[in-house]
Amino acid sequence: MPNPNPTVSIHQITKSFGEFNAVTELSLEVYPGRVFGLLGPNGAGKTTTIRMIVNITAPDSGDIEVFGQRITPALQDRIGYLPEERGLYRKMKVGDQIKYFAALKNVSSKEADARVDRWLARLKLLEWKNKKTSELSKGMQQKVQFLNAIIHEPDLLILDEPFSGLDPVNLELLKEVILELKADGKTIIFSTHQMEIAEKICDDICLLNRSRKVLEGSIRDVKRGFSRNAVALRLVGGAAVLADPLLVSKVQRHSDGLEVLLAEGATAQLLLKELITADAIIERFEMIEPSLHDIFIEKVTGNA
Amino acid sequence: MNKLWAVIRREYLQRVRARMFVVMTVLGPVVISLFGVAPAIIFSINAGGPVKIAVVDQTGKLYSGLYNSVIDERGENSSATASVESKAANENQSERFQTMGEQPKEVPELQQVTIGGRSLDEVRAELDRRVRAKELDGYLILPANLLESGDAEFVSRNTGDVFTRRFLARALSRAVSQQRLVEANINVKTVQALSEPVELETTGIGPTERKRDSGEAFALVFGVGFIMYLTILLYGQVILGAVIEEKETRIAEILFSSAKPFTIMLGKLIGVFFVALTQLTIWALAFLAFTLYGVGMLATRGMPVHIPAIPASYFVYFALFFLMGYFIYSTIYALVGSMVTTAQEGGQLAMPIVLVLVIGFYLFLPVSRSPDSQFAFWVSMIPFFAPITMPVRIVAQTPPFWEIALSLLLGFGSIVLLTWLAGRIYRVGMLMSGKRASIPEVIRWVRQA
Repeated sequence: MPNPNPTVSIHQITKSFGEFNAVTELSLEVYPGRVFGLLGPNGAGKTTTIRMIVNITAPDSGDIEVFGQRITPALQDRIGYLPEERGLYRKMKVGDQIKYFAALKNVSSKEADARVDRWLARLKLLEWKNKKTSELSKGMQQKVQFLNAIIHEPDLLILDEPFSGLDPVNLELLKEVILELKADGKTIIFSTHQMEIAEKICDDICLLNRSRKVLEGSIRDVKRGFSRNAVALRLVGGAAVLADPLLVSKVQRHSDGLEVLLAEGATAQLLLKELITADAIIERFEMIEPSLHDIFIEKVTGNA
Repeated sequence: MNKLWAVIRREYLQRVRARMFVVMTVLGPVVISLFGVAPAIIFSINAGGPVKIAVVDQTGKLYSGLYNSVIDERGENSSATASVESKAANENQSERFQTMGEQPKEVPELQQVTIGGRSLDEVRAELDRRVRAKELDGYLILPANLLESGDAEFVSRNTGDVFTRRFLARALSRAVSQQRLVEANINVKTVQALSEPVELETTGIGPTERKRDSGEAFALVFGVGFIMYLTILLYGQVILGAVIEEKETRIAEILFSSAKPFTIMLGKLIGVFFVALTQLTIWALAFLAFTLYGVGMLATRGMPVHIPAIPASYFVYFALFFLMGYFIYSTIYALVGSMVTTAQEGGQLAMPIVLVLVIGFYLFLPVSRSPDSQFAFWVSMIPFFAPITMPVRIVAQTPPFWEIALSLLLGFGSIVLLTWLAGRIYRVGMLMSGKRASIPEVIRWVRQA
């Protein structure tokens, strides 16, 4: 890892509610300037883990260090949290609302005023500043919620499903802002079960399933570990080559061509050479990496 | 501390700026005075105009006494005890109805029916018909031996009209006893002079000063008890609603990631307390302005209003007991709010609290009647009742200072205990979702460190 001092360091935490184990012996480290994806199906323990990091609940056993210290109420001011279940004061004006959450994070009133205007403008909400929250559309409310989480410019930002229910335009806008914050050296923990988005913005991931960690590492390493030697093909001819069991173990037909799984010991290079020799007309030949989605499905359903 | 202040500030400003607050502040006194006078007004409403009663006087000498007695009952001109002797003038008139003029609506209108040679049954039949035809509301038959037997008969269409029946019974008793005196050759005027009722001029003795008092004190006691009850109930419900809102919308989760749950809860309680205090202060100032200017103005227009003198120390006591009552009940409301999932459930679970508060309110009656009894002492020591009963005792008959101090001490001790308890339940309950917390669960939360 590039930075030796993790922003969040979790060591062997366990949390259970009665008979139910929400998190079991989980350890992980999150580094500054990176987006850390906390992935997993519903009920895997993501939200419980996050709640322990932000000091809403405490683990039954194990340690959590944030910014190199045991978590204290004072450290909460340096953490921003956007929970999965959204909550806003419906009758409060948008500007007042964001200012209130800033005040709860010890941002001075004067400073908060400037920031509210700046951020509302950035998220294209400025003309809604004096409207009641209940008058906003769902997507706009979500952006207000996001501002509530970042208005105190936290060093650690935790986003639980920040994109659910956003239209593509707003989704891009929010993604841009998140990547900007990352470029500023903030640490971002991003929890989701939408793998397509996680794949685009996460640097590191940790996959949870049934309260336990099943996979972790940088996206690149994870994908490399899951490389299945698959090739996407679109071609005319070459049927005999594809039928060779020494080269190809499986052929899947898609609307847009073929997906070929190479046999053990065969390489893509060798397949390409054979196809050219067989005079097949090749329109597309591409090595495919497994998507995070595939990895997720594989790990979670236990087909690995 | 900054965070606590931020929570207080938000709760206060959000609510004071709300339209609801303005409406309540303006309408509050109207509602309270309505509650005070409405029962009396409703009771005195006589939907059908004056009740018409026919009187068949077989004694031949009681009608005019009854007539005067009815007039007297109005209490207006007690000197109008028309001489019993003048009845002779009415006595031998032929069959005609005599309608009593110029009576206020509450007083029954009497008509005399003379038998004039018919049998009593004939007269009855005639009167029954007239009652059915709604020309009359009822009739009174005074048998010839009424003076000896003391039994008269009242026939009425509306037997539920207790008011009229009692009124007639009272008036008739008076007329009969006067007639008995006349027949015993005793001068009625002498008897009246001798039996002049005593006016009790009530003077209460406080610990230091003597204060003259004639009824306003009761109004004051009632008013204080009622305002305490209403405000505590009202703002307890506000707390309940606010807590449930934060739980339902999951704002609690963000709040708890920013500040300690206890800070959030305390800030909310204090913020809403200041809202209540603001409202009470506005009402108190309006009352003050009324006593300074309004009373004088009304007096010059011939409407004297008595405002009991309220010592300044009372206001301090009221404020302290309001503070105590508010925090005892609103803490419980906050606790309940954090246990439930919807406002509806909250309402159900809060019912017992309201009930306790209502009992406290009704205790004002026995307590104001005998404020120095053992009973009054004990109920003003119980923290749930003290916020209403102790101020009532203070107004009615100020107890020794140590009792007030003890009551306050017990109350504020309970607040510390309740806030501690509520804080522990609130912390866990606010993050729960899906179902109402059960009592064993809640007990476990409290035990957990």
